[in-house]
Amino acid sequence: MISLNYRDARPIYEQVRDGLRHLVVTGAIAVGEKLPSVRAMAASLAINPNTIQRAYAALEEEGYVSTTPGKGAFVVRDSGGETPRRGELLRQFDALSTELLFLGMTAQELAQRVNRAEENREGGAE
Amino acid sequence: MIEVQNVVKSFDGFCALDGLTMTVPDGAIYGLVGPNGAGKSTILRHITGVYQQDSGLVLVDGQPVYENPAVKEKMVDIPDELYYFGSASTRDMARFYRGFYPRFDQKRYEALKEVFRSVDETRPIRRLSKGMQKQTAFWLALCARPEVLVLDEPVDGLDPVMRRQVWSLLMSDVAQDGTTVLVSSHNLRELEDVCDHVGILSRGKVLIERSLSDLQENLVKMQVVFQEKKLPVLPDDMEVLNVSQVGRIHTLIVRGKADEVTNRLAAYAPILMDALPLTLEEIFIYELGGEDYAVRDVIL
Repeated sequence: MISLNYRDARPIYEQVRDGLRHLVVTGAIAVGEKLPSVRAMAASLAINPNTIQRAYAALEEEGYVSTTPGKGAFVVRDSGGETPRRGELLRQFDALSTELLFLGMTAQELAQRVNRAEENREGGAE
Repeated sequence: MIEVQNVVKSFDGFCALDGLTMTVPDGAIYGLVGPNGAGKSTILRHITGVYQQDSGLVLVDGQPVYENPAVKEKMVDIPDELYYFGSASTRDMARFYRGFYPRFDQKRYEALKEVFRSVDETRPIRRLSKGMQKQTAFWLALCARPEVLVLDEPVDGLDPVMRRQVWSLLMSDVAQDGTTVLVSSHNLRELEDVCDHVGILSRGKVLIERSLSDLQENLVKMQVVFQEKKLPVLPDDMEVLNVSQVGRIHTLIVRGKADEVTNRLAAYAPILMDALPLTLEEIFIYELGGEDYAVRDVIL
């Protein structure tokens, strides 16, 4: 489901977190669906359960999942609150769009891309 | 919980353990690392009650281990050199284990046949290859469902697929039952994946004992390029363990959190600066570097 790369400079828990986040964002694990249990993930990746736990806690803090004790972690759609992750992404977005505008793209073209991304997301959610 | 307090052990005047103190919390996967001859196997043999210490305490769940069957029935040891009775097969040993491990799980034994199917359970263990003998050891250990598992160089001799298989089974048990695992190994790459606590041993003492994330977050590798080719004079209170230079790039190993160190180095207006996390192997090398232990350049 996700794979670890030992030449990657990121710590393992960040790789697990980023891998799972990617699955959530692309809709591979849909809203309302349950993430694999800590035990199943630890066994399939052969890594420490605490590392998985830490990745899940980070995802919860970022607003992608919600954990119910005894039941597991479920994907939630963020209600739109201000999270550090969102701030970080917006900063990256600003930096990227500034660079793209410098490279001659127009604001309209960028807006079209955002619209297309939204259509794809909705298409994937069905 | 495993508590080792101030344990001293000498063999014929040679001091193998010199006041060793360590603590393994419940449910932890504790990696014991250290140079050859640091005392790793010796302390493990104390914790499993094979050796008796000259002084100090070795407690598991608050009870001394030596000659204490009540504690030992909760523990399984896979030593570095396996020993089995003359002509005992895996099946015979399972029967033997069942005799003194109250939680021995026969259903598990049958289920694990699938995993260890290359091992012939009716063949005398001593006539199996080294790797097969290790597989047998894990097979039996997993069936005994221990609360504490002590492993000395556990995956030595196992092929890559079996290694992963064995770790996967162990991680699953840790997640489900909160099994405490104490493991010594030189394969730091592997320990990094599975451990949450690390103890670095040197000359019969524990040099550092910390959670792995703590260890990794308090040492950082900085790659920096300054305007000048030479490294500027850094403040005295900045603990730099190692400096090397390739072309204009300086690589510094600094004690401290990545963002703090980055902020402090930013004052020197570097052209380029990257903070990289260290691998356990690098931590091992740099932490022991100050202990007069390093790779020497010897020309033969």
